[in-house]
Amino acid sequence: MTSVSVVVPVKDGARYLGELLDALSREGPDDVLVIDSGSADGSVAIAEAAGVRVLEVAPDQFGHGRTRNLGAQSCSGELICFLTQDATPCAGWLDAYREAFTLDPRVGAAYGPHLPRADTSPMIARELAQFFATFAPDRRAHVQRAGDASFLSNVNACYARACWQEIRFRDVAYAEDQAFGVDLLAAGWTKVYHPGAAVLHAHDYGPLEFMRRYFDEYRGLRETTGHVEPLRLGGVLGLVGADLRWMSAQGLPPAQRARWTARSLAHHTGRRIAAPVGSRAARLPGPLRRGLSLEGRGESAAAPPAGEVPSGTPVRPWGGRKEDYMEAALVRAHGATPLLAPVPGMADAERLRIAMILPPFRRGSGGHNTLLQILTRLERRGHVCSVWVHDVMRMHQSEWPGVLRWNLREFFAPISSPVYKGFDAWQGADVAIATGWQTVYPTLLLDQCRARVYVVNDHEPDFYPASVERVLAEDTYRQGLHCIAASPWLRDLLIERYGASADAFRLGVEHDTYQPRPIARRADTVIYYARQGTPRRAVPTALAALRELYERRPNIRIVLFGDNTPLETAFPYEHLAVCSPEQLSWLYSQATVGLCLSLTNFSLMPKEMLACGLPCVEVAGVSAESIFGTDGPLELAELDPSALADALLRLLDDPALRERRSLAGIEFVASHTWEHATDEIEAGLRAALALREQAWV
Amino acid sequence: MTSIDDDALETTDPYAENERLRARVAALEAELIEVQARANAAVAAAQERAYWLERWHIDLNALMRKPGAREFRAILRAVRAVARQGRKLKRRLGT
Repeated sequence: MTSVSVVVPVKDGARYLGELLDALSREGPDDVLVIDSGSADGSVAIAEAAGVRVLEVAPDQFGHGRTRNLGAQSCSGELICFLTQDATPCAGWLDAYREAFTLDPRVGAAYGPHLPRADTSPMIARELAQFFATFAPDRRAHVQRAGDASFLSNVNACYARACWQEIRFRDVAYAEDQAFGVDLLAAGWTKVYHPGAAVLHAHDYGPLEFMRRYFDEYRGLRETTGHVEPLRLGGVLGLVGADLRWMSAQGLPPAQRARWTARSLAHHTGRRIAAPVGSRAARLPGPLRRGLSLEGRGESAAAPPAGEVPSGTPVRPWGGRKEDYMEAALVRAHGATPLLAPVPGMADAERLRIAMILPPFRRGSGGHNTLLQILTRLERRGHVCSVWVHDVMRMHQSEWPGVLRWNLREFFAPISSPVYKGFDAWQGADVAIATGWQTVYPTLLLDQCRARVYVVNDHEPDFYPASVERVLAEDTYRQGLHCIAASPWLRDLLIERYGASADAFRLGVEHDTYQPRPIARRADTVIYYARQGTPRRAVPTALAALRELYERRPNIRIVLFGDNTPLETAFPYEHLAVCSPEQLSWLYSQATVGLCLSLTNFSLMPKEMLACGLPCVEVAGVSAESIFGTDGPLELAELDPSALADALLRLLDDPALRERRSLAGIEFVASHTWEHATDEIEAGLRAALALREQAWV
Repeated sequence: MTSIDDDALETTDPYAENERLRARVAALEAELIEVQARANAAVAAAQERAYWLERWHIDLNALMRKPGAREFRAILRAVRAVARQGRKLKRRLGT
């Protein structure tokens, strides 16, 4: 006869342990092992009195999987049964398990039903009866194979030693049995549900404790099987109705039925709330997780003991989830989708079908403002335009296209084009315009295009340290798209460093807003665009320069703007946070000198300062000279605190120089309009089409 | 036979054929632009109209597929019709 060992992990299980061991003695296994992890209620004495082996482990060494592996190692039966301390085997329990392992040559585990005790609440009694009935509607033992339910419960289960040795329990904090069920079927073993291998077992708690237990259960299920319980409150009344029918069938008197109905409503509602929250426990703060857990478990998983290989948690694919930069991988693997054959004369067509592909956006994004200012003007010129948002970071996951369109109009410019999210409705275009490095790869995969163009607002690889993003951003310039760069410096860089074909356009200024306002200009105010979250703005060097300036001229008024969080500085200043364009125009009209640095492409802000008559200091040797020359309206200085402080002081101390720079600035940027920028972009689009025609010939 | 010879003569003139095809392509291109412009305008107008529905993630089609939705709508229409008749009657009595 097959030898059987029974392992019972225990902690403060005195209530049912004696009854359990009595029942076991009647079933007659070869060996019973109780593993106690710090009981203080006499459990160990009960076990010793029953004459079974007792193994004691420190409470902090207990783990549902780890301790059961220890139990299996510490006994010798060919079959290893596991019971919880409150599961009392019914008569015939062991024979049923022995029979279960004869039903198929690959049976690795078997389990039986949990029967309610006499005082079990109707909700739990019904649930147990109906749940286990689904495994054996005909009340006969059933073999379950890969593809069947993976359910397995160590409240009452039995394992073939060979199967346990191959799979072993994962060292997870909860639901190690569910994980074993998944792993067992995946490894080609089968399992058996035997209705004869029954135990008396039911947990009854108050409604709040039940919620905390369901929190634990569904948290464990998520961690082991990846199951995510959806949030749905519907169906509670149906479950209460089922409980009522059950009570009626069991012959409960009306008074008891009424009392249990209220509990049933609380129970099922609590479960509907606690289960989805438990599935999402990882998103909750640790102290809250601990507070909600009936077991007081704050961390996600127990730490493995030294010397053991930690087991991983299987995570199922997330619905609709794509890998980041999947389009880049596709382009690398298969190349770009071929362009349509050019139509003769398409570069000169009066109206073009233009599709602009945008990366995710936020209010205040300068790059998006540039793009949409230009798009509105292309629309006015009769081109047939559409906007496609490539939501690579899932920033707009919860926003539908109509909302994206409304936000684009609200944040940037009143476009008339439709806005699409993703490319499911893609309909082709004469020119598809990529507008940020993340949009280049999906643009390369779009079909039905005659040409592809890349409007380059900045040298984006410089936004990243060594990273995948940096490599992919650099590669966008080598994909054969015709580039239209936002400055001659950037155009030359794209041509020289990457061998791209490129034109340039000049960023426009909204002259209706940015103009000298009727306000007296102060003689003591330096304003600085202190955007600390943007490394290319060289904030540490600029703050050092302002500190030096303050030390040399303590009466200078310094104003920082552009970041909602005030910066910690060694000098006093006024904090202005993020301002609207209107507010900025007044600020620029009142200040004495502006400071705005960029370590990559020249940005719009110094132009807007100049348009308001504000002389401005910029960093020399990067991109500003390509637009303004070396002695234009800007005061240029090396990227050095002292040099920048010197430049600021030159302007502060020399009213004639300030006046000269101010007038030169207003005059210089007068021609920098969005209409002009649109002229240049449109010419770039037509150049791309012309290049296609030439290449075809 | 004569007509076939005429066709053959027409198609063998490469310049004329080229011009004919160019004109056909231009016409198709113009038609495509028009269709696309109308489609874009229709989609943009629909997005404009459906903004608040989209903001609140309300899919009316899905809503109307729910059990009881048709009946609810029928009741609303009936109530509206009664209210309309009531207002009409009130106006008549008032005059």
